[in-house]
Amino acid sequence: MHVLIVEDEVSLANELSHFLTQEHYLCDWAFTGREASEKIAVNRYDFILLDLGLPDYEGLDLLRETRELEYQPAIIVLTARGALEDRIEGLGLGADDYLPKPFSLLELQARMQAIVRRKFQVNSNVLEFRGILLDSVARTVTYQGQNISLTKKEFDLLHYMLLHRKRILTRLQLTEHIWGNILEDNYDSNYIDVHIKNLRKKLSEYIPNDWLETVRGVGYRLTA
Amino acid sequence: MRLQSKLILFSAATKVIILLVLVMVLPPLINRIALHSTDQRLLEKKEQVFDIIEVRGIESFLSDSEEEAYGSYNLLKEEFISMEPIDPSLINNRIENTLRKVENEIVEYRVLSLAFELHGETYLLEIGRSLDTIRETSNTLQRYAMYFLFSVVLLTVFMDLAFVKVLLRPLALIVRKLQRIAHPEAFKPSPLATNTSDFVYLNDTINNMMGQVQEAFRKEKDFIGNVSHELLTPVSILQNRLENLMATPDLPDEALLKLVESQKTLHRLKSIIQALLLISRIENEQYLKNEQVSLNTLVNDVVNEISDRAELRGVTITVSVPDDFVLPNANYSLLFTMLFNVVNNAIKYNKEGGSIQISGEVRAGKYELSVCDTGTGIAADQLPKIFSRFKRTHAPDSESHGLGLAIVQTVAKFHKIKLHVESELGKGTCFKFAFKKVNASLI
Repeated sequence: MHVLIVEDEVSLANELSHFLTQEHYLCDWAFTGREASEKIAVNRYDFILLDLGLPDYEGLDLLRETRELEYQPAIIVLTARGALEDRIEGLGLGADDYLPKPFSLLELQARMQAIVRRKFQVNSNVLEFRGILLDSVARTVTYQGQNISLTKKEFDLLHYMLLHRKRILTRLQLTEHIWGNILEDNYDSNYIDVHIKNLRKKLSEYIPNDWLETVRGVGYRLTA
Repeated sequence: MRLQSKLILFSAATKVIILLVLVMVLPPLINRIALHSTDQRLLEKKEQVFDIIEVRGIESFLSDSEEEAYGSYNLLKEEFISMEPIDPSLINNRIENTLRKVENEIVEYRVLSLAFELHGETYLLEIGRSLDTIRETSNTLQRYAMYFLFSVVLLTVFMDLAFVKVLLRPLALIVRKLQRIAHPEAFKPSPLATNTSDFVYLNDTINNMMGQVQEAFRKEKDFIGNVSHELLTPVSILQNRLENLMATPDLPDEALLKLVESQKTLHRLKSIIQALLLISRIENEQYLKNEQVSLNTLVNDVVNEISDRAELRGVTITVSVPDDFVLPNANYSLLFTMLFNVVNNAIKYNKEGGSIQISGEVRAGKYELSVCDTGTGIAADQLPKIFSRFKRTHAPDSESHGLGLAIVQTVAKFHKIKLHVESELGKGTCFKFAFKKVNASLI
């Protein structure tokens, strides 16, 4: 997958690129709007990660330009601006997704994978783990044809862990994934633990209980 | 008491006092004046008598016999004049009140007694005027003076009233303008139509000061908004860098734990910035209110989202929303955040096995949604502070930033919802949201 990162903050672009390269994406950078405009005209990208707050270019113009290309890259708008989503939608420039800064790289990757499945139909909607099949579109989890009934949050947690199965996921990252869109006063890791406990209990009827490793003081990791 | 009333009362009081003083002083004064004028008159009469004597000689008075005295009264005994020869040793010139018997009737007179010498003889001239007549005059005078004074007082009080009213009208306008200001932002500077320079100065000063207050408010809001916005990018970089670091292979456990702690700290920073930005954006009206939100749906959504937390704490949530209420112009996600924070607090500060009652009903023509818990409660002296930013009234809690209730209040204000909190220490807290008048068609 070929990704263009349009971001004027060099440090941020560095981190994005470092992460995406590790996840086997092919990354290209543009630090200015002009540079980005040239690059999208010359190359074919699958993804454009677009920061709209560029100093030399009206971000919305860049969005319009990409929408006028003969090929249709997936666009994720990375923004620190508020209520920009409404404006973009209002202009009919619709990006594929919006990620407000600061965002988690894991969240970005999850969104990118969702777009890949939806838009390019490259991967199947079904993730497999130790014989457990998770269908992210139908939102079902099955084991040898048997349906495993999960709550919405348990499903989202399992889905997220399956997308990042090689990593340790911290409680905070899981919390942000589940409740990240709600602005609340406090962070309490106990809530995540309860959902993980329930998820463990439900899956232990089908697979050995060692599928999820608890990393003390840190979080959880799936074991292959 | 209003300035206008004070001025009127003062003016009326001083006039009444002056009136009373006059009422007391007037009778003796007028009496004296009357006596004085009588004395003048008697003296004039004396001159007239002397003139007559000079022209016609004393014989015209004492014609027949030298011993005989002369006396003359007018018909109603108001005045008399008498002349008689006297012994020079008895000379006693004076003006005094005396009683005289006239035709078997005793009448009090003001009498001028004067001795004079003519052709070697000494005569006593007496000219008198009835005191009753004098009193009558003075009474009439007094009565009219009282009428006059009374009407003057009445008239001037009314004139003062009208004048003060007109004079103080600009002040009333200023006061009314100030009363209408709920928030400094709502103030609009306007000139004052008056030529009283004090009021013009007052109005200009208020306009000027309010302008400064507004400017300060705007600057503060802009500052918070801008700073928070500028902080988002560095926080973003840090967050991503931490995530990349954590994925480093063969990271020592100790380093990993430190990274997790850093992540939590960063998360706290991020929450503060996002909360400040949210408040700032709401205050700057950057959110749309273009959705119809059913409170029934909202309550159920929040409860669904949060019920697992309540379960974990052993807290039961009871929902009773018999009447639904639809907010016509609202922002669902903001209202969700508002209610979520309130219910979340109700869970967080509840006791083990406690309960939360969420009820919505029409009360006194208004729709009221209340969230009541059986938690620790808030001390009365802390109650007014709970909505202040960064104020934590509960026990220190490192993961809470103290902006939750500030968000709640800002969202409520944005939707013109009246927020009221009742709490009793050890018994629980009630958050009450009063919505605008119930529109029957919306139920």
